[in-house]
Amino acid sequence: MTTLQAALSGALVGGMFAVMAAGLSLTWGMLRVINLAHFGLILVGAYLTFELATSWGIDPILTIVLTVPLMFLVGAGLQWAFDRLGVEEFASLLVSFGLLIIVMQTVSNVWSADFQRMDGDVNPYATESVSIGRFVFPAPTLIAFVFAVVIVVAADQVLRRTFAGRALRAFAEDRTVASAFGIDHRRLGMVLAGLSAASAAVAGMLFALGNAVTPSTPFEWIGMVFAVVILGGIGQVGGVLLAGVLVGTLSAVVSATWSPALSPLVLFSAIILALLFRPYGLLTPAARGAR
Amino acid sequence: MRTRSLTALSATAALTLFITAACSDDEPAADSGTEPAGTAEPSDEGGAPSGDPIVVGSTLSLTGAFGPTGIIHQIAGEQFVEQLNENGGLLGRPVEWMVLDDESDQAQVTALYERLIGQEGVDLIIGPYATPNIISAMAVAERHGFTMPQHTAVLAPLMTYECQFPAWSIGPEPNAYVPEQVFDALESLPTPPERVAFVINQGGSTDFIAQGSPDDDADPGAVPIAEERGYEVVAEIRYPPDTTDWAPIAAQIRDADPDFVFNSGLAVDPVNLLQAMEQLNYRPPLMFSLFPAPGPLLGLGDVADGLLSVSIFEPNDALIQEAGPEAQAIVDEFESRAAAEGLPYTAFETQATASWNAWEILVAAVEGAGDTDQQAMCDYLHENGADTTFSGHLEFNPDDNNFWPSTQGLKQIQDGDWVMVWPADRAAAQLQPPVG
Repeated sequence: MTTLQAALSGALVGGMFAVMAAGLSLTWGMLRVINLAHFGLILVGAYLTFELATSWGIDPILTIVLTVPLMFLVGAGLQWAFDRLGVEEFASLLVSFGLLIIVMQTVSNVWSADFQRMDGDVNPYATESVSIGRFVFPAPTLIAFVFAVVIVVAADQVLRRTFAGRALRAFAEDRTVASAFGIDHRRLGMVLAGLSAASAAVAGMLFALGNAVTPSTPFEWIGMVFAVVILGGIGQVGGVLLAGVLVGTLSAVVSATWSPALSPLVLFSAIILALLFRPYGLLTPAARGAR
Repeated sequence: MRTRSLTALSATAALTLFITAACSDDEPAADSGTEPAGTAEPSDEGGAPSGDPIVVGSTLSLTGAFGPTGIIHQIAGEQFVEQLNENGGLLGRPVEWMVLDDESDQAQVTALYERLIGQEGVDLIIGPYATPNIISAMAVAERHGFTMPQHTAVLAPLMTYECQFPAWSIGPEPNAYVPEQVFDALESLPTPPERVAFVINQGGSTDFIAQGSPDDDADPGAVPIAEERGYEVVAEIRYPPDTTDWAPIAAQIRDADPDFVFNSGLAVDPVNLLQAMEQLNYRPPLMFSLFPAPGPLLGLGDVADGLLSVSIFEPNDALIQEAGPEAQAIVDEFESRAAAEGLPYTAFETQATASWNAWEILVAAVEGAGDTDQQAMCDYLHENGADTTFSGHLEFNPDDNNFWPSTQGLKQIQDGDWVMVWPADRAAAQLQPPVG
């Protein structure tokens, strides 16, 4: 019973990591930008949710009506800057790390380094849950999982079925050839980066629903989110959800049946093993990925 | 062109980082936007301090994992120094506090204290926040023979330098003191708990309080002490400090069905734990948490009601009156400064008290020695102790690593606020029994 309950809860938590990882995976896979500033945008999303809910009394979930467009513009602007300045894949890692530090320091200056958490009167979701039989689904992670499914399915459909999606995939495969066929990679890149940042706003809201935040919180996410991105396959948004659920479930089951202290050890060992057999992600066989 | 652009961007980012770091790291106590601590106008009472300033150097974790608590020590320290200067300074000279940001990084603490003593030439030092950082600073202090009052390192066996002086004491054996006090309090209830679940953060101090010395069975912690006192330990769950998924832990506690949960945890651990248990429609009858962030717990509302923790001071009327006439003004001033800094929880409680104690120990040492001679300061404190506003007179015995008999008690959340409930002679309210 405890193990099953933990597995269900862990799968839902994996949904939140999938939302965090989706934008990072897409910009890395499609635009060749390893954007560590994405974690800074999630952090800002969480703080904006806190601020809008506590100061303005807006329902925390509805804050995304304001934060998503704002973050879209920020993400598009960042991509414009990366593009104009010719920041390449690995340079983007260094530059965006600097941006992450700047964002964290700015957040610290604005909201202080202390923990910020929405009180129960503005965030009714924090302690709520849904019960089905003997199993309980905590509201914050259940909501996160629903958002994860919606975001991943929508992104997957856009990439598969729309011209823009196909253009992006073509651009990711071969920039020169794609440009020769008239694909405006700059505009598409800004849109994708904007959408990725918008997903960061959603991830921030989802995290703030169930957790206290401090400016240093992103360091807690980086290991788990990168694991989800790599296990899911870089640029493969569907794989991100699968990886998130697997990572969340495995971590929770080890915590419940063995010890929470052993969870990171088992989890990252399992990830290393998985990548030995599926180096391009869970959904991509090694032979296909190598092509 | 691309290379040039990249270089320009990198340089801009580096410059911005440098400016940001410079603003937060190197300015003496001015980085919070307030006036430098040593420039306050003197009051008529103490006379204006004059001459070269006495410079006190320290680091604090103003950013990073310890930042939420580091800022409390910064606010308290600035307030203390300002008040000190308003009352004539130290030995008639103004005091300046040079505080550097160690970014919660133990590795930086050593280098920064070396810099403070070796390059900046500070006259005095005071400790940083958090046990690992304090241990690093203590090594530098010992190397240079500096006397170092320190705020919060309570693991007495580790604090072996004879001229470090703790401002918060849980006695020479904190791993025994805390559980004994908790179980004494529980056993004072009409129906004491019998079944205990331990939930232990694997951080250094929390693990030590729970387990005691790993190499010495004669030096037990909370778990063996509970067993020795006849409690049934129904769960013993260890979790890493960066745990993000609390549901499996909550489910294990619920299924173990304890009467009492002993969380040897830190910061927002109990918030996450209580919230996760509430999501499972479960509330433990009674819970204790070792070193929680006090504000976020109050934000949980009635979910956290009844939670116990340790405290050396709470701004309850009875304790403020006991501390003397100056206490109310100090508490009020701190609250207004904390509010101005945007802190969500502004009460002058354990952390601020420890900070205030540390500064009072430093002042007592200098005034007692008559100058800033480090060995004379250290000797003075060993021989005479120090008077503090909130913890009374402190005696420092080198045989106990200077850890004075603890005044630490237990506080409990009652009706949405923290109140001291144990020991009875320091209690501002009665200990509330387990629910259900």
